[in-house]
Amino acid sequence: MTTPASLERYSRQMRVPGIGKAGQERIMASRVTLCGVGALGTVLANTLVRAGVGFVRVVDRDFVEPSNLQRQVLFDESDVTGNLPKAEAAAVKLRQINSTVEVEPVVADINRTNIEGLCDGADLILDGTDNFEVRYLINDVSIKHNKPWVYGGAVGTEGMSMTILPGETPCLQCVFEKSPGPGEVGTCETAGVLAPIVSVIASFQAAEALKILAGKKEAVNRELFCINLWDNTTRWVKIAKLAGRKGHCPCCAKRSFEWLDGEHGTQTTSLCGRNAVQVTPRGGTKLDLNELKKQLEASGSVTANKFLLKFTTTDAGNGYEFTVFPDGRAIIKGTDDTDRARTLYAKYVGH
Amino acid sequence: MPITVDIPPPLREQAGGNLKVSVTGNTVHECLDDLIKQHPALGPKLFDNGRLRPHVNVLVNDEDIRYLDDLGTEVADGVIVALIPAVAGG
Repeated sequence: MTTPASLERYSRQMRVPGIGKAGQERIMASRVTLCGVGALGTVLANTLVRAGVGFVRVVDRDFVEPSNLQRQVLFDESDVTGNLPKAEAAAVKLRQINSTVEVEPVVADINRTNIEGLCDGADLILDGTDNFEVRYLINDVSIKHNKPWVYGGAVGTEGMSMTILPGETPCLQCVFEKSPGPGEVGTCETAGVLAPIVSVIASFQAAEALKILAGKKEAVNRELFCINLWDNTTRWVKIAKLAGRKGHCPCCAKRSFEWLDGEHGTQTTSLCGRNAVQVTPRGGTKLDLNELKKQLEASGSVTANKFLLKFTTTDAGNGYEFTVFPDGRAIIKGTDDTDRARTLYAKYVGH
Repeated sequence: MPITVDIPPPLREQAGGNLKVSVTGNTVHECLDDLIKQHPALGPKLFDNGRLRPHVNVLVNDEDIRYLDDLGTEVADGVIVALIPAVAGG
């Protein structure tokens, strides 16, 4: 049996018993929306485009910075010099890797007003984001429109992943009722991140994606996978019984899409004439300013009292001053761009 | 043989830098009380007004206590209790 030239490049992948020619053809006919093309996202995009996924939409609001190059595998120094948006820089590399894949870069902040459009037509949504606000939005879209998605998170030397098949597995809100609030746990900027944990988690997500796209849902991981590369520990958390959380899961049991409806999440307001943006988490949060101070000490100069925290830092060559309040609200001076402010908030305060 | 609590990286500073802490107790609640007795800084990280903070998932031998008996879940010697906050970065 000969393989047509168009399939030759996938010959090794097709020899995997779970894929075969039929699976490969399904992969090539499939469409994926990738939310975020940073650390996890570049590994995911690289793997999916090489695997021959038919259409990949990559969405990211950020620009390539020198500190990205340690782990964000699609970028190089010329992308930093060119001050390129991550989505555009990634698209150039991805098209060089596989010109038969249709790659659509979108430079945008993912929020409740645009996410349904960005996921329209997708067979699968992939999580390459760095925050839970977008993940809960993805989860709402997944359940509302019956599209599978794969969660992945990595920080320091630990990471976790789970696969959400609407109607079959627990959703993200079944397993994580709430995400850690602002300042509760470190972000990649404050706690650091080792490149291999990113590759491990994103590769695990990519394997799940290929199973789903090849039509092999029976092979999908149904547990919460956790790994720490420094402690040499792995854990498979049995989550199946949490599905719908005895009918109380607001998202998949009650079909109340609170994140899409704007009941949670952050709100940004550009403070006119002040070159500053106010970022306000909805739904109330209680921040330990002393704890946040400790986390930020390595990233700039920081002072705190019981009323507010002041933090000054240089990010991608620009100076910023954060004023953070105990309710999680922050005024970020040094930009009037609300997308940039969201990025800075997610990077340094976290949510 | 006591009960072991696995401490996740974001809570290790409050647990004296330990990856694991040995505790005693008949239920998950008693084990966490003993943990906080040994490392008081963990108290506000785990509980808010006496209620377990919702972003901390508690496992007993890799099973989530929300479908066992929550904090009343009974534990025997040798059991591993794990605290698992969601990992956000990426």
